[in-house]
Formats: sequence, C-alpha cells, structure tokens
Amino acid sequence: MGRWWLLALACMAVATVRAEEEEASARLLASKHILNRYLVEDMDLVVKYTLYNVGQTAALDVHLDDFSFPEEMFKVVGGQLHVKLDRVPPQANVSHTVVLRPTRFGYFNFTAAEVRYKTSEDASQIQVAVTSEPGEGAIVAFKDYDRKFSPHVLDWGAFAIMTLPSLGIPFILWFSSKSKYEALAKGKRRRDE
Amino acid sequence: MKFHIWLTLLVLPAAILFASNNGLARAEDDVDDEGVDVEGEDLEVETSVTGDEEPAEPTGPGASPDADTTILFTNPVGTSNLDLPGGKLVEFLVGFTNKGKQDFVLETLDASFRYPMEFTFYIQNFSTLAYSRLVKPGHEATLAYSFIPAEGFAGRPFSLSVNLNYRDASGGFFREAVYNETVQVIELEEGLDGEVFFMYVFLAACVVLLLVGGQQLLVSVGKKRGHISRKPQVETGTNDNPNDVNYDWLPKDALKNLNNQQRSPKQSPRQRKVKRSDD
Repeated sequence: MGRWWLLALACMAVATVRAEEEEASARLLASKHILNRYLVEDMDLVVKYTLYNVGQTAALDVHLDDFSFPEEMFKVVGGQLHVKLDRVPPQANVSHTVVLRPTRFGYFNFTAAEVRYKTSEDASQIQVAVTSEPGEGAIVAFKDYDRKFSPHVLDWGAFAIMTLPSLGIPFILWFSSKSKYEALAKGKRRRDE
Repeated sequence: MKFHIWLTLLVLPAAILFASNNGLARAEDDVDDEGVDVEGEDLEVETSVTGDEEPAEPTGPGASPDADTTILFTNPVGTSNLDLPGGKLVEFLVGFTNKGKQDFVLETLDASFRYPMEFTFYIQNFSTLAYSRLVKPGHEATLAYSFIPAEGFAGRPFSLSVNLNYRDASGGFFREAVYNETVQVIELEEGLDGEVFFMYVFLAACVVLLLVGGQQLLVSVGKKRGHISRKPQVETGTNDNPNDVNYDWLPKDALKNLNNQQRSPKQSPRQRKVKRSDD
C-alpha cells in the first residue's frame, strides 16, 4: 500500500520538475525612443530606453550601452549612457532615460544601442541584442527655434512704442478741445451768477 | 489496496502527459531539415513560426528556420483579441533572433488590415518601414513599428497581418508573418467633448424659452380677464401737492421776478408800467 503512494508521489515530483526545465529562458526586446517633439541645438533631448522581458525567466547581468552619441556632438546632462541592471524579471519591463544636449545642428542619424544579458542562470554565452533605431532626425539651430518660439518681449515693446503716435495724437486733440469747452462753460456760469 | 492502485494508474499517465509535450504516441511528418546553408530561392512553403491560427500564406517564400521572431504590443498592451482604439497610435515591437551562422539583413516590416474571412482581401495597407538592419549570428534585434487605425473603422473586426521581409548573406529571401490575428477596432468614449457640451447648452436654452413663453401666456390671460374692478386713475396735476412743482427749467431772472411779485402782490404790472413811463 505504501509503495503505491510512493510511486504516485514520485511521478508527481518528476512531472513538476520536468515542466520547469522546458523552455525557460529570458528574451529581451529593447526599444529606444526619442521623447522630444523638437530637437534643438543646446536644448535638452530626452532618450528613453525600454527593456521588455518576454521570456519565462529573469534576464540576468543586463548591460545597456549606447555608443551612438559622439562626445563632440552630444553632451550628457542627465542619466548614463552605460547602464548595468542585475536582473529583469520575466513578463516585466524596465525603462531608462538619458538627457542629452546636442552641441551642433544639422541632420543626425539616431542608431541603435546594444544590450547584453544572460538568458538564464547557467547560460554559457552572453546574448547580444540591438535596440530599435529612432531613425534620422533634424536638429534645428537655436536661432531658428528662438525666432519661432521665444516670447519676443523686446519686439512687442518696440511695437507698443511705435503705436503711441497713432493713439496719442487723437487723444491730444480731444483733450485740448474738451479743456477749452470746460473753461468756456465755467466762465459763462460765473457771469450768470 | 485496490483504491491506491487505481489512484496510481490515474496519476502516472497524467503526470507523463503534463511533463512532456509529445507524451502521446502519434505519427509525425518528416520535417525536412534544410540545415544551416540556405541556398537558392526555391524553398518549400512552411507555416509561420508564431501564428498558428490562420492558414499560411498561399504563395511566396516562407520563414527561415534560423530565425525566430516574436511580437509584443506596447500600446495597447496585450497579445490576442486586441481592442485597438480608432484614431490612436498603436505601437509594437518585433524581436528577431538569429539562431544560425550567417548574417541576416532585416529589410522591411509592413502591416495591413485584411478581411477576417478572406485572407487575401486587403482593406488597408499601412506604411512599409525599411530598416536594413544587419543581425549577426547569435544576436538579436528589435524593430519598432507604429500605425494609427482609422476612426471610421470603429466597431469592425479586422485581420491584422504584420510581415517581416528579410534576407540572409547568401541572397535567400524570406518573408515571415509575425502577427496574423483578428483584432477589433473600437471607439473610445470621450468624457465631455464639444458636441455634448453644446447639446446641453441648447437644452437649457429650450427650457428657458418654454418658461418665458409660459410666463407671457399667463400675463396675456391675466390681462384679458381684466382688472375692471380697479378704480380708474384720475390725473389731478399739482393741485394736491403745491410743493411738488418743478421750477428748475425756468431761467434764474424770471424766478427772481416771480419771487418779488409774490412779496408785493398789490402792485399790478399795469401800474408799474405807468410809473416807469413817468421817469
């Protein structure tokens, strides 16, 4: 009687262990996305990297490196371009943001960053993955952006000063005739009394 | 004793079935393994690696066995029976793994809406994005794609078909259906938009109009019934109240004469005139 129970238990144990061994690896999908609407020279450019784990186990020892922003063209003002994450859990996603500042204007081809990770605990090789590319973007010169979007306080002030004559001259005419009539009316009233 | 034997007999096959995919004995077709070297364009038609609901593409090259693709919808999140909001951006990522020994070049990714019943009937073609991405052996790559389903398509089911075209280093051309399932395009319910707001304004105006009309009606009915019993108002002028006379419109000289006349009423104007003529 006891033997049959043991056999049943052994089968269940084997079954559960077998189920875990199959197809258990991590798979990362990496996307690189520029969050800016306008890319302007000397103004912040925000890049967002998102890693999605579509596998069944955690991705271990994840390195995200972006070599596509040369030092002479971009300055890092926030975040890191080289990131290390210990693990990305299965069916989860991680995002990382970097803030850059372009030092030159013109067309720039935003290419992919690299991700290296281990697909499982006892994986022999590091898996290399490449993120998605945002594509080519135009970095506008600051002068052009400013011309379009700045508050133009000085320009409006000059405009206000230039419109003063067209408002001032009718006002002066009216004011002079009003004061003349007031004086006349005052004189007549005094004479009447 | 017998009970335990029966229990084990039930548990053992169940455990075997649960543990492995091919627990049952069945005849398997001979899968023609093409090996690592893929040469020429005459590849046999294979079913796609991921989609197993719809029938495979009738003609054209299939997927390479050295490549593995996966798709993930990032916006809106989900895998099957997706509800795509009309007029909003839909984004997804396609992951590509190179399991072989040759370089692969991912050329284009295209998406299209097709008639759910009739696979070859195109309803809408979305832009084909060209990536030309090189994927080395053993490496993975991710491609991002986004599109906007038209708002006018809301309420209809479509078959969304996403295809990846790629080639290998020896010139073999492959086309793989990465996603091929039925999706539903839905319409998002806006909370308060212009139409609804002005409709409420219009209804309020109608109510106000009704109230005004009702009030006018009541007044006219009241007037017709009449208030004949009321006393007729008679005009009396300034007889009742001598203090109520308004002297402001008289010039000041006349007012002075009037006051003087009142002080000495005995002198009539004719007598005064005679007096003056004497001077």
